[in-house]
Amino acid sequence: MLTKLWTYLKDFISGMDYVHREKAAGITQWEEKELENIFILLLTGSFSGIPAPPAFVAAELLPLLSREIKIFNQRAENSFDTLAEMTGLLDID
Amino acid sequence: MTTIIVVLGIVVYFVLYKTYGKKLETEVVKADNSIETPAARMYDGVDYVPAKAPVLFGHHFASIAGAAPIIGPVLAMAWGWVPALLWVWFGNIFIGAVHDYLALMASVRYDGKSIQFVASDLITKRTGVLFYWLVFFLLILVIAAFGAVLGGMFVGTPEIPSAYIMKIIAALILGVLMYRVKMNFTLATVIGIILLALAIWLGSILPITASKNTWYVIMFFYIIIASAIPVNVLLQPRDYLNSWLLYFGLIIGAIAALFSFHGFTAPAFTSFAPIVSGGKATPYWPAIVLIIACGSLSGFHSLVGSGTTSKQLEKESDGLAIGYGAMLTEGFLSTLVVISVAGFGLNLMVDKGMDITTANWATTYTGAMMKSYPKAAMFTASYAQMVASTWLNFIPTKIVQIIAGMWVASFAMTTLDTTNRLGRYTFSEIMLPLKSNHEGAYNFLTNRWIASIIPALIGIYLAWSGNFTILWPSFGTANQLIASIALLTGSAWVAKRQKSTSKFALIPAYLLWITVTAAILWFSIVVLPGSIKANPVTGITVLVIEVIMLIMNFVFIIDFIKHKDEAVA
Repeated sequence: MLTKLWTYLKDFISGMDYVHREKAAGITQWEEKELENIFILLLTGSFSGIPAPPAFVAAELLPLLSREIKIFNQRAENSFDTLAEMTGLLDID
Repeated sequence: MTTIIVVLGIVVYFVLYKTYGKKLETEVVKADNSIETPAARMYDGVDYVPAKAPVLFGHHFASIAGAAPIIGPVLAMAWGWVPALLWVWFGNIFIGAVHDYLALMASVRYDGKSIQFVASDLITKRTGVLFYWLVFFLLILVIAAFGAVLGGMFVGTPEIPSAYIMKIIAALILGVLMYRVKMNFTLATVIGIILLALAIWLGSILPITASKNTWYVIMFFYIIIASAIPVNVLLQPRDYLNSWLLYFGLIIGAIAALFSFHGFTAPAFTSFAPIVSGGKATPYWPAIVLIIACGSLSGFHSLVGSGTTSKQLEKESDGLAIGYGAMLTEGFLSTLVVISVAGFGLNLMVDKGMDITTANWATTYTGAMMKSYPKAAMFTASYAQMVASTWLNFIPTKIVQIIAGMWVASFAMTTLDTTNRLGRYTFSEIMLPLKSNHEGAYNFLTNRWIASIIPALIGIYLAWSGNFTILWPSFGTANQLIASIALLTGSAWVAKRQKSTSKFALIPAYLLWITVTAAILWFSIVVLPGSIKANPVTGITVLVIEVIMLIMNFVFIIDFIKHKDEAVA
């Protein structure tokens, strides 16, 4: 019984610590995401008419960017719907 | 009595979570773990990431818990502790938690899109635009109400601002240790907590005394600067320290309430219409929604749930604990506030020379509280007394009071500068129609600094010149209005998409809409004229905001009724 209680308490405290870290990192992640968006736009922007890096650089990088392009698509879809996300990140209440 | 109510609160919440909550899960939401959540289906390692239920619960709770659930119930004690508790519990279980849960699950079924998007899709496009305006007004009123709370606390307990300033320095040091020195995270945390304790101790011996208006000027510059500097410099390490304060405060408070075995000195019931807002007799219905506000339900939660939480839900069955359960936990915090003020508030006010008894409570409580322990200070003082009445009395009462004050002040201050960040964003969105024809004006108004200054200036001016018992219900109107729109959206989702019984959503949604509408009308017709007489600029500003919100409210309900039965593709 005592061992179970101790394990539960340990899990709770480590969970709490994890939440704190995650919560603290969330806002920096948001800023990092913005930088990442700009980076993706630089590399793949030619699709939407934005000047891209030299063709050979883009061609070399393209195979490595399949995941990024998928994420970029997802973000483009959500780009007009950021109010709720910002409210979730910034503690207001 | 304190112990009985804590235990009763836990039992009520637990039983209704297990019965009513489960009914919602199976009959309304029809949670199904075989349906992949957006976190799994759209995993991107950044936004869409599945999180374990306890971790996501912590995230969600830390995002929805703040100073508002503390301040509302303090004011609502004017009706007596039974009506205050009744609305906290009833509103929480049957409206607030349902609202949070439906917003979260509707978003989950909408690929993690926001409740604003869901409303645009299920009702009309303009509902999405209404959200921006309502949120912008809400943010201005948040700055006004929370600014007034902080001004009162800083003047009433001068140890709190000095401890807070020391805490900012501690947060800056923690930021340097974590990001510049790249110190081990655990070691940096230990140092941060030691610095936090040191800040509280230094605050207790070096109080800073200044007038309320001086604090307002300082707050104005602080929120402009804090909302413009990179988040990792101040906001992030400060919020990290705040979360430790929240857990510490909640745990100590729960232990103290459980073991204080103290009788209630506040009356159980005073009158249907005691003096609360603007010196006027304030009827329990409909005004209670504006006064308790986030203590029982909050419109912000629909944005939090559908903004970040829905993108991290690992499986649908976790939604009940996170959406519904976190709101009940916040209601438990409001329960603790009612218990502490009911148990210790009267003696505190009498000790300060206030002429208040249980017999004249209905007419004297709000005035006596505002003069002796204004707003949140009533909670921090009674909380400290409650802790002192238990075996935790080895911690000096003054220190406990500063800790509780720091807890409230930290959340209120965080709210102020993050509100300003969000205000800047919503203001830019609202100004978007100007872009095509008046590009110069658009560029000027959406400039980083101008867009920051506008909401801050209006908010702080209202705090400076306004009466708190007017500002707080005004904040309540905007917040509850958003909640009512979100809950109606949730019920439209239940009816149109889920094709399940929508009465669990629709009845509370209509009840909330009618109550909030009646409350805004009562507030604008009965309370605001007095405020306009006392201070025309402030009174008219609040009245204009209320009238615009009321019009939007009617536009929304007409749209809702028109479109609620339309079939969806």
